[in-house]
Amino acid sequence: MSNISREVKIWNLPVRLFHWVLVGCFITAWLTRDDRYLDIHVFAGYLMGGLILFRLLWGVIGGPYARFCDFAFGWREAWDYTKMVLKRCAPRFIGHNPAGSWGIYILLGLGVLVVITGLLAFGGEEGHGPLAGLLNYAQGAIAHDLHELLAWVMLGAVAVHLLGVLVESVLHRENLIASMITGYKSVPPGTVSAAGGRPVGVLMLATIIAAGFSWFYGYLVETPEQPYRPFVGQQLPDNALWREECGACHLAFHPSLLPARSWTVMMESQSSHFGEDLFLEQDAIDEITAFLAGNAAEQALTEAAWKIDQSIPKTATPLRITETQYWIDKHREISVQVWRSPKVNGKVNCASCHLDADDGTFEDAAMRIPVEADSSSAAVFKIFQKAVRYFSFNSSPPNRLEDKG
Amino acid sequence: MKRKLIVVTALMFAMPLYAQADAVSELQADYQAKGAGPFSAAAGEALWNKPFKNAKSGKERNCTTCHTADLTQSGKHVRTGKVIEPMAPSVNPKRLTEVKKIKKWFVRNCKWTLGRECTAQEKGDLLAFLKNL
Ligand code: HEC
Ligand code: HEC
Ligand code: HEC
Repeated sequence: MSNISREVKIWNLPVRLFHWVLVGCFITAWLTRDDRYLDIHVFAGYLMGGLILFRLLWGVIGGPYARFCDFAFGWREAWDYTKMVLKRCAPRFIGHNPAGSWGIYILLGLGVLVVITGLLAFGGEEGHGPLAGLLNYAQGAIAHDLHELLAWVMLGAVAVHLLGVLVESVLHRENLIASMITGYKSVPPGTVSAAGGRPVGVLMLATIIAAGFSWFYGYLVETPEQPYRPFVGQQLPDNALWREECGACHLAFHPSLLPARSWTVMMESQSSHFGEDLFLEQDAIDEITAFLAGNAAEQALTEAAWKIDQSIPKTATPLRITETQYWIDKHREISVQVWRSPKVNGKVNCASCHLDADDGTFEDAAMRIPVEADSSSAAVFKIFQKAVRYFSFNSSPPNRLEDKG
Repeated sequence: MKRKLIVVTALMFAMPLYAQADAVSELQADYQAKGAGPFSAAAGEALWNKPFKNAKSGKERNCTTCHTADLTQSGKHVRTGKVIEPMAPSVNPKRLTEVKKIKKWFVRNCKWTLGRECTAQEKGDLLAFLKNL
């Protein structure tokens, strides 16, 4: 068949864009699974959800090879096809073959589940996103676990998909990966072409770029004095006396960072406070203790509060936030050099990395390790940022406000 | 009573510098009543820079350990690393405006640095030194 075959467009632009942007989202989401990149991770998730929704629609109206009815194979057909592949006698399909089709259904289904559990965790644990407030911290944590589990399952499905693509490419001596990039396949004469869809593809690309631009706009207009905070948490309870007395030698550590029993002991022993005598008067001690105990970790005012409290055995009374298990786990990957660097200056200097340490919210994606800020990629980014600021009138970074509803 | 009124009005209406002069002179008058004085900025400066060997750590400590030698610059708490705003009232007008705050930090910082409380004479000298920076 090869001498009379010709190049025909099989995958139109929307299909290819969907495929490769989805790949990009998947990789990005894996690379940004740490708290500090949550805004990028969430963007990848939203984009993935949007792409899958689009693909479901395109599966109805998208033309030959893209429509679900063009690869609506049953489970049995997929299984039989797989067996034929193993016997190396599987016929060639121009569009999706039966086994590959099932791979697509499974990947789409897993993608939907990953996005939904992600939104549930984002709403429950962080109090942000469209599902904010639907779940409490404990339920949000379960959604988070499920989200991770599903992401692993999806990674497995992606591996099987890749294996299938490689086996098929070898079996039929064609480069399936290249076809998904160019859209063309070498096919017998008379094969239906899937040309068209270009305007939809262009619109798709424009939407994705615009969405990315608006989501990350804050970074472009931030200034060193006013760094951009992608997520801004609820305002936490405050107290002027506490701020003055407890914020002079170090950051005024928010009460939500330790349980009430820890604060009570700390205030009772204020005359030997980590080797310092605080010389507080009794009425000041009383007021500060009441404020600290009343807003302590048990009150679960923030995700960090809830998780810190969960990580402390009920019999323990830690006097240091930096000795609680949750804190230790979250900062395990930070090296000694970073802690010792003059810009960080030790573990208790939360504000050198956490942009919202003073507010006590400790939101995700509000951490910047100052030592890393001088890298060359940051320099390139700065030039880009300058250009944007030059062209934009508004120079104050917009903080996206998404409080728990 | 009348004195208090003046302080309050000063705090409310006058420039911060006036409040500073007032807090400092109130404290210095207090120290004089305890038999100290006259106060010398030079003696204050000498004490500010004088190192004291700490009994426990064996290291030398002085006021500049946290406030740095250049008082128009921000200092850094030696144990926590937190930035301490400049001490000189000329760059930081909020300095030396609150009697209570000055008293509190004299107790804390003298004990930490000298290992004992400062005498009335020493405190008066320190204020004489700091207020004109
Ligand atoms: C005179 C200075 C001073 C004042 C005032 C002060 N602290 Fe501290 N605090 C310290 C020092 C020093 C440490 C130990 C820092 C270190 O080891 O890195 C510390 C440590 C802490 C820690 C442990 C930090 C950690 O997780 O490692 C907490 C919590 C704390 N202070 C709370 C308070 C509270 C609450 C108040 C107000 C009542 C207060 N501090 C007032 C000097 C002070
Ligand atoms: C050297 C920079 C640095 C310092 C200093 C630092 N942190 Fe962090 N912190 C981080 C980074 C980075 C992460 C994110 C870790 C990850 O991605 O999982 C983090 C994560 C956290 C989290 C988890 C956020 C969440 O709820 O998901 C909390 C809470 C936190 N830090 C509290 C503190 C407190 C309190 C202090 C001060 C006692 C502190 N940190 C000091 C860098 C720092
Ligand atoms: C261990 C660190 C440390 C040392 C050493 C230290 N200070 Fe301070 N000092 C502080 C901190 C922290 C504050 C309060 C922070 C602020 O007001 O910005 C302060 C505040 C003060 C104030 C109050 C100023 C005002 O705002 O009105 C005075 C006065 C003062 N210090 C004098 C001294 C003197 C005198 C010495 C030496 C005997 C000294 N300090 C040594 C940390 C220190």
